[in-house]
Amino acid sequence: MATQARAPVAVEVHDLEKTFRAGWPGRQRTVALRGVSFDVPRGAIFGLLGPNGAGKTTLLSILATLLLPDGGHARVLGHDVVREARRVRELINMAAGNTSFPSSLSCREVLDIAARTYGIGGRERRRRLAQLLEQFELAGYGDTAYNELSTGLKQRLALAKAFVNDPELLILDEPTVGLDPDISSRIREQLAALRRARRMTILLSTHYMREAEQLCDDIVFLRGGVILARGEAGTLKRQILGGDRIAMTVEGEWAGLRGLPGVLGCHGDGSRVECTVDDARKRLPELLRYLVEQGAAVSEVSVAEPNLESVFIELAR
Amino acid sequence: MTAASGLASELVKTSGFFLKSWRITRRNPLTIFEVVFWPVVSVLSVGLMTAFLGVTPETTVFVLIGTLAFSVLQVCQLDVAYVVLFDMWSKSVRHQFLAPVRPWHMALGAWLMGTLRGVAVFALLAGISRWAFGVSFLGAGWGPAAAFVAGLLLASAGIGLIVATLLLLFGVHAEVTAWSGVSLVLLLCGIYYPVSMLPAPLSTLATVIPLTYFLEAFRADYGFPSFSRSPWLTGYAVAIAYLVGGYVMFSWAIARARRTGMLLRLSD
Repeated sequence: MATQARAPVAVEVHDLEKTFRAGWPGRQRTVALRGVSFDVPRGAIFGLLGPNGAGKTTLLSILATLLLPDGGHARVLGHDVVREARRVRELINMAAGNTSFPSSLSCREVLDIAARTYGIGGRERRRRLAQLLEQFELAGYGDTAYNELSTGLKQRLALAKAFVNDPELLILDEPTVGLDPDISSRIREQLAALRRARRMTILLSTHYMREAEQLCDDIVFLRGGVILARGEAGTLKRQILGGDRIAMTVEGEWAGLRGLPGVLGCHGDGSRVECTVDDARKRLPELLRYLVEQGAAVSEVSVAEPNLESVFIELAR
Repeated sequence: MTAASGLASELVKTSGFFLKSWRITRRNPLTIFEVVFWPVVSVLSVGLMTAFLGVTPETTVFVLIGTLAFSVLQVCQLDVAYVVLFDMWSKSVRHQFLAPVRPWHMALGAWLMGTLRGVAVFALLAGISRWAFGVSFLGAGWGPAAAFVAGLLLASAGIGLIVATLLLLFGVHAEVTAWSGVSLVLLLCGIYYPVSMLPAPLSTLATVIPLTYFLEAFRADYGFPSFSRSPWLTGYAVAIAYLVGGYVMFSWAIARARRTGMLLRLSD
């Protein structure tokens, strides 16, 4: 057990498959995951991106032991999600966007009941509740019924509930969906701070590319139950979209740009020249230096760094 | 995580389910109807009907025992089913299945709440029956009354678990069983009539329902003939069999819901 607890990998997923059956007798089949494999190092924030129906929630639900896979296997913090499900449940927690709780329960009661289901007793439970209400800025709403909370407060409560057992792995399924930008931003800051403070591993599915870029160390793109791409945001942008783009107006010879290191391609339309480079910050001075040496006049330089949203659109097509 | 250890941890987990039911129930306007309105209307209307029909005091006792049994059973089994229903209504089923709890934590916590409400219904109806119709459910002593209520509460656990199983299998489509399932049981076990009046196949079915024996045993203490050799023991044995069967089914339904995705469909 102790050896497993020190394992550097928090999540190992190998060839995971899941098909949902509906109708009688299960004739309608929807394949949600088709042999998904990846691993997540401890302490990382791992992003899952993909269009609706890509299989993100299915994957997270299997890792949270809410759903059983049909094939393959997954281990969370060294424990098999099927055979050692209860142990996994002790170590993880989950929050989803649009989470609900019984409407008449107050914030404090929601957290109290959740803490009890993890076997957290008496004094420790009271201390934990007070800390979570404070940490998620819910202290003033402890006795407010769930149905009287705003959407933002409800979401903060869902997040607070996910921290009730001080999990080593936190699963967040679109945690900021439907929230206004200010609240989303604060939740992102909170998550980043919590991750720094507790060194917990976070699995995050989101539709917001900015969120993924801001928070995630590593990202996978899922579509149709298959991983299409994986990597750090910057790497993905270069891999999928072919790098950064530098556009400029050049009066003079520019064809030699194509031969410079890091230049992936250049094309021109009149005096307007656009080059694709591996890293704009590194290559721009080299390009300008070359053009000046060639005696060309350069004006209107702009750098277009591809964003994750472009990658998403490209992969979701 | 600093969790309580051993038995203390198990009790804390169970208390979570009891307290959830308690906190939701005390703010739920339906509670007044479930614990007070329907049981009182039921016992008053049945009692008044016996007066109108001019039946003997013994027959009045016979019928009111049935009414009492119906009310206690209905309330307690509903509370056990609420362990799934409350979360199903609020689309928050996944939270309790995300936690490291066993099915018995859920069932026991919910049943304890059912026990509390069942005993409250018994006390209320016993008082009204004595005041309005001169019928005392403690006439045969505290022992038989306690054994009767305990039997009803035990039988309720089995029925409630079967209802909870149906909810996890069929979702909202099975909601109606929470209120109607118990009526079928009551039809067969003879709440207002001896089971000997039922047609042969139905009276045979009645022998596998624990309530049949509890009604028979309690009524025997009021002088009605008993058809079984040891109705109390048989009743408890059958009720325990239902409880074990209901628990096995409930556990299986949870596992199946994890396989089919029902837990997700009932959430958020």
